[in-house]
Amino acid sequence: MAWRIGVDIGGTFTDVALVDDATGEIGVAKAPTTPQDFAAGVLSALAQAMERYGVQAADVGLLAHATTVVTNALLEEKGARAAVIMTRGFRDVLELRRSARPDLYDLFQDAPAVLAPRRRRFEITERIGADAEIVTPLAEDEIDALIETLKADKVEAVAVSLLFSFLNPAHEQRLGERLRAGLPGVPIYLSCEVLPEIKEFERASTTAVCAYVGPILASYLDRLVQATEALGLPPMYVMGSNGGVFEAAEGVAMPAMAVESGPAAGVVAAALAAAQCGRPDLLSFDMGGTTAKASLIQNGKYETTPEYEVGGGASANRWMNGTGHPIRVPVIDLAEVSAGGGSIAWVDAAGGLRVGPGSAGAEPGPVCYGRGGTEPTVTDCNLLLGYLDRSSLLAGEMEIDFDAAEAAITEKLAKPLGIDARAAAAAVIDIVNHAMAEALKIVSVERGHDPRDFTLAAFGGAGPLHAVALAEELGMAEVICPPIPGAFSALGLVGSDLQRDYVRTVYVTTDTADAAAMEAAFAELEAEGAAILDRAGTPPERRQFQRTMDARYERQSYELSVPAASSFDANALASAAEAFHDRHRQTYGHDNRGEPVQIVSLRVSAIGKIPALAIRQEPQVGAEPIKGSRAVLFRGETLQAEILDRVKMPKGRTAIGPSVIESLESTILVPPGWQAEMDSDGYIRITGASA
Amino acid sequence: MSRPNQNDPATFEIVKNSLYKIAEEMRVVLAKTAYSPILKSAGDYSCGVFDRAGDMVAQGPDLPIHLGSMPDAVRAVVQAFGDDVYEGDVFIHNDPYFGGSHLPDVNVVRPAFHGDVHLGFTCLRAHWPDVGSATPGSYGAVTEIYGEGLRLPPVRLYDKGVLNEALEAVILSNVRTPDERKGDLGSQLAATLRAAERLKTLADRYGAERLVEYMADVMNYSDRLMRAALSELPDGEGYFEDFCDGDGIPDHADGSDAPFWVRMRVKKFGDRITVDFAGTDAQVAGPMNAPLSVSASGVFCGLKTAIDPNSLIPPNSGCWRAIEVTAPKGTVVNVEFPAPVVYANHEMSHRTADMVMGALAEFMPDQVMACSQGTSAVLTLGGLDPRNGRRYVSYETVKGGFGARPNKDGINVVASGISNTMNTPVEVLEMAFPVRVERYEIEPNSGGAGKFRGGAGARRTWRMLDGADATGALCMERMTSPPFGLAGGAPGIPATVTVTTPDGATRSLPSKGAFAAPGGSVVDMVTPGSGGFGAVSGRDPAAIGLDLLDGYVTPDAATRAYGAADPAALLKQAKHEDMP
Repeated sequence: MAWRIGVDIGGTFTDVALVDDATGEIGVAKAPTTPQDFAAGVLSALAQAMERYGVQAADVGLLAHATTVVTNALLEEKGARAAVIMTRGFRDVLELRRSARPDLYDLFQDAPAVLAPRRRRFEITERIGADAEIVTPLAEDEIDALIETLKADKVEAVAVSLLFSFLNPAHEQRLGERLRAGLPGVPIYLSCEVLPEIKEFERASTTAVCAYVGPILASYLDRLVQATEALGLPPMYVMGSNGGVFEAAEGVAMPAMAVESGPAAGVVAAALAAAQCGRPDLLSFDMGGTTAKASLIQNGKYETTPEYEVGGGASANRWMNGTGHPIRVPVIDLAEVSAGGGSIAWVDAAGGLRVGPGSAGAEPGPVCYGRGGTEPTVTDCNLLLGYLDRSSLLAGEMEIDFDAAEAAITEKLAKPLGIDARAAAAAVIDIVNHAMAEALKIVSVERGHDPRDFTLAAFGGAGPLHAVALAEELGMAEVICPPIPGAFSALGLVGSDLQRDYVRTVYVTTDTADAAAMEAAFAELEAEGAAILDRAGTPPERRQFQRTMDARYERQSYELSVPAASSFDANALASAAEAFHDRHRQTYGHDNRGEPVQIVSLRVSAIGKIPALAIRQEPQVGAEPIKGSRAVLFRGETLQAEILDRVKMPKGRTAIGPSVIESLESTILVPPGWQAEMDSDGYIRITGASA
Repeated sequence: MSRPNQNDPATFEIVKNSLYKIAEEMRVVLAKTAYSPILKSAGDYSCGVFDRAGDMVAQGPDLPIHLGSMPDAVRAVVQAFGDDVYEGDVFIHNDPYFGGSHLPDVNVVRPAFHGDVHLGFTCLRAHWPDVGSATPGSYGAVTEIYGEGLRLPPVRLYDKGVLNEALEAVILSNVRTPDERKGDLGSQLAATLRAAERLKTLADRYGAERLVEYMADVMNYSDRLMRAALSELPDGEGYFEDFCDGDGIPDHADGSDAPFWVRMRVKKFGDRITVDFAGTDAQVAGPMNAPLSVSASGVFCGLKTAIDPNSLIPPNSGCWRAIEVTAPKGTVVNVEFPAPVVYANHEMSHRTADMVMGALAEFMPDQVMACSQGTSAVLTLGGLDPRNGRRYVSYETVKGGFGARPNKDGINVVASGISNTMNTPVEVLEMAFPVRVERYEIEPNSGGAGKFRGGAGARRTWRMLDGADATGALCMERMTSPPFGLAGGAPGIPATVTVTTPDGATRSLPSKGAFAAPGGSVVDMVTPGSGGFGAVSGRDPAAIGLDLLDGYVTPDAATRAYGAADPAALLKQAKHEDMP
């Protein structure tokens, strides 16, 4: 292949990133996102990019796409008219949830959202027991009437989630067969295919999410696939929440895989940057207008988590039983906080300074944008402190109203607090930095990783502005700002391997397990993966199968992941138990050696490797990067900061803090005591000046 | 009052958030490592960070019942040991007469140090599914605390990091499932250790003494916010009385249980509020007697919800300073030794939390809710599992309705008031214990009618597997005392439980006490719906139509309870509007 193209649809812009495999040249293009018909924006950005770089459709070897369609359908509650079919007696599993409420003391809290209202939740007579035996046979004679009811109700998708189908899928499979025959054109999602795992609510929820978003994702992808194929482009791949890409048809079969498609692309890009800049242990930090996301990359790899909650105002904190819809598919382990440039600062009734969760968003935006915003935001505070250019942003494309920002901060924050406006602005930045540092801590400290062992990689429009302060808070010694921060996520798309994850629940203990049976189960999962790789035409030398197991002490409910040998035998069982005891001690401070270790599930990730991608951008030579200087405020002191133009910084050029490095897409703040240097690949590396 | 955060608002906010984060992290560690389903799946435990005096500085997103009464548990350790507290020490206790709530709730209290500086305590209170007694699950109807299981006054389990093995042996030999208890205790130790380490890291960053000052500041901050909120509200006085089903000890020749009364007067003036239980009935023979800290815990929960209805004030001991709770000694809300208490922990605190709403309705009707389910609806089952020959104890709580509000319906089947435990997934339950759940669904017509409908209750049915002879025990309220409506709303339906034995005989069970459930028996429970809010005449007909469409209300009930003349027409209209 010659060119790889990634397309990332954001709230404001659709970004296209291109990479020339032969030369490593990277190109980008942008077009406004077109929410009425996303394909229009995609095609326009693609056309622009291909024209600008002289790319012919026939030269494109890979086309990959990150989509927010699934997340948006859930957030905006605009999914399909979906029905759910449950075991008789269990119609209400989706509404009963786990029965905890998200806020202990909120008098006016709403009932959590349900993807299928009770009128579209149906029952079928059948029952499988906890030993996988059939307790009550499937009532074949009820199915015709059920199909008629679903037809009459004009149902657009169906989720089937029967008790213990993860142990014995016979009933679900038979019912699925009948429904597919009786309801042509209506996608049928079976929980034994979507998520063969214990816990009926979580499994039903994941399956219902598939049914709710499936039809929308299908029509969206159909439209895009048709349009891109018409241009002669190759089959389109979709970024999954797990950081791998899969064929569009796979996504339609398993839409829950695409929930965090967009953020995942950014993390993958960070992993690529980790390889490029020789920093395999990275904390990635992606900050935009409304949210900031953090993830952890160790030895060049990101972690995935099996638990996630989406939509319905779900809390970023997975451990608070929220109001969203749990999905149990691997999602890149990322923490998200509602903190961005648009976050609003305010003073509460007791005189406490708060930031967020309200956001001025893109409209009206910060006060300084002059588009009607009246509440002071993080961006306004950055402006007041001199961190942003006081006359314009986006290289002069956007006028800035400094005075309005200052007035808002004075009236709304400084006066109630009894301090001056600059002190108030500095306090706001401290608070928002702390909130974002919490996100970084969730993926590091809470997982037993010391952030001081990591380098911070900052991207997104606002990431590089706050990154060094976060590094200081977490005691980190180095920050890197990769090139092309604005379209950085799109680069992740063209560097992603093809990946599908498979799981098999086994429930065995390591002292009595049959290693040969486990080897056979692993082999079956790998065969399923191989079939997908066959279809994608992945040659044998680019295939990888990663085996892991979810293990716990028998009476625990949560598992830790341990690696599994590629050829599984009795020795492998024993070493898996040892690995689990060690992991438990490392994570929780104690182990219960002497107790049997239970293997709950076997997991296989089938991966089709693609040739390594280098994210780099040759620095310019011979230009003069100094643009001037301005006053900036650090820790109550006013200092003169040098202002540099990023694109004109040659390799090896340093900037001693305080300084500000500006580019079209973002601004890098280098505080006193830190020093930035442009490296040979276009990365800006910022280190403590004494380090 | 000073404003300690004035000069450095950022650091204050950061330290405050960090303290709450620590309590949350304790929760994660326990969930991930505990053994018994009641902890790992149902989440019946609470986490907190405390100052050196035992006041709660930050609490996890846990159970209000624990959170309101845990400071007394830590203070009990402070009283018992004073300065004789060192790094590596761990204290354990569960005695309701020494700062505990009821015997199954076991407190693990660990001091946190930074060098020589004692920063405070971390405490994890967890409900053990069994602490001995004659009944598996320790929920028998007895008449003295001595019959309720193992009593642990505050004692030192670890002495500077060294386990007191004799004490551990005594504990484990007094519980039915010692291996499981050991696993659970290990996870309580791990969670408190994690929290103590996190406090130490905070002290590294901000200085140990400064951190101690910030802990005080955080509580002062909540106190100021509560008082500011109270000052905004009208002054007034309200009275409410309600009766409980009984105490589990038969009072009449036919074996039935006599009800008893709880009476409450709430007075609000300026930034203060007092709650007095004068006139409440004397303590009872069975375990429906509450220590005052348990009764007050329910009051705190109700008041916090009403005074700060959008839940903006960080919950900690500072919130309760503006509130005074008093009750005559020797009553069901302020028990005297050695009366039994096990049921009252949640049943009496549910009651006082709901009653606060009834009393406040007299002068702040826009910030109250109708009565919720009002019970934790506990079912314990225990015996030998014929599948593996192991002894087991299962403990479940089943949720009912969350009360209707002045502006919206209640919520169907969700934890309310002082409770916030989760259900145990049917698949997890059946793999752990020899039972099969035959139904778990919303009970139609159970929410009280009104302008805003009460939340529906649930129906859950268990069948004991063949050969699995079990001893069951119930602990419920609201079987004879239905959850009240407010402002003209109707009450929710009361709870019912029946057991059908293999011989086909079905009988209703009383709200409390043990019963035999031989293999093949079926236990069928319906939990209470919550009360409605406002007169039923005010209900939007379209809302009735939607309830009909979803089967939350049946056509005959629409006519009977809502006065709908033509439910079929309402249903047809709702259906029409629902079609694409």
